[in-house]
Amino acid sequence: MALQSDDFTAKLMDNMDSRLLDFIRDKVTSFIKWDLVRFFYENPSTTDSVENIAKYAGRNTAAVQSELEELVESGVMEMQLIDDLPVYSLASDEEMRQLVEKFILACEDRHFRVKAVYHIIRGLR
Amino acid sequence: MQQRIKTGIKGLDEMLHGGFLPQTANLVEGAAGTGKTTLGMQFIYNGITRYNEPGLIITFEEFPQQYYRDAAAFGWDFKKLEQEDKLKVIMTSPEVTKLDLERVGGTIETLVTEMGARRILIDSLSHFERLSSDPVELRTVEYSFINALKREGLTSVLTRESPALLGGTDNDDENVAFIVDSYILMRYVEIESAIHRALLVLKLRGSDHDKDIRQYEIASQGIKVQAKFEGQEGIMSGSPRRMAESFVEAFVKR
Repeated sequence: MALQSDDFTAKLMDNMDSRLLDFIRDKVTSFIKWDLVRFFYENPSTTDSVENIAKYAGRNTAAVQSELEELVESGVMEMQLIDDLPVYSLASDEEMRQLVEKFILACEDRHFRVKAVYHIIRGLR
Repeated sequence: MQQRIKTGIKGLDEMLHGGFLPQTANLVEGAAGTGKTTLGMQFIYNGITRYNEPGLIITFEEFPQQYYRDAAAFGWDFKKLEQEDKLKVIMTSPEVTKLDLERVGGTIETLVTEMGARRILIDSLSHFERLSSDPVELRTVEYSFINALKREGLTSVLTRESPALLGGTDNDDENVAFIVDSYILMRYVEIESAIHRALLVLKLRGSDHDKDIRQYEIASQGIKVQAKFEGQEGIMSGSPRRMAESFVEAFVKR
């Protein structure tokens, strides 16, 4: 019976645009990443070091570093070395930017946010 | 007649005898709320919309979002200009900007080439002070940074914060005044128990300029430079006196 209830919840929570579902499951896999994605969506031409991005986000540098690296790996962000200093910015790929925009706009809906939170928590387990 | 880069700010271009000189670095200094950033944004906005000169805004403190909001309050749609590739509001840090300009094919160089950017606002130069506590080294860093902007063909407005709300500057880094091409001071002044704003072009290398101290206001469409202060002296000290009073003090009360 419990399994059935879990299945029902999962089905309900999966009920969203498949591209956004993949985006949350594969790319925005933590709340810090969510914050970072939102920050870069709102400030799309930001280009800076981990230390400064952490300051802007009001987070710990070490925590932000690993999250940024994963966002780079998944193609949401880009990293370039400027004189050995890693500098991060939002991916310039238009398709990725559109997906980020779609995600942020979808987050304005409370139901979508609840579903996104559910998937992130499940992923963190 | 020298070519000029017009700010498009009524009164200011008149004070500058037509505008800034091309590929120059222009320092705008003032206390919080005097309108340095507004002046810089207006320089960029007018450049794009009136003179077809795309622009860049490099911010070291305020989030780009803040610029979009502040600009919108004056009726300037920065987001739309960004979508049209005529403007980029870049949030970064002095260290990254410095390194970026030193290399070939950096972000700023690329944007200048791709967008055809001609103007840049650096908000604010004060943040460079964290790169070095040694004034000689700081001057070298700022000098090299300003030259790199000129090398890219950009005419820049660089803002700098002044800690004193009223009166003269208490800035530790006076060197920068020597390395820029023009120096504009924006000040609060107290006259008859009311705060006014005063603007002065202190220096304009390679050209004559208006020496008057003028009033200005931050109106619904940006900064408006008005008439000069009449019958007052000591304006830039923050506490001006009527000229008649100082005359009496100097010659009659003796």
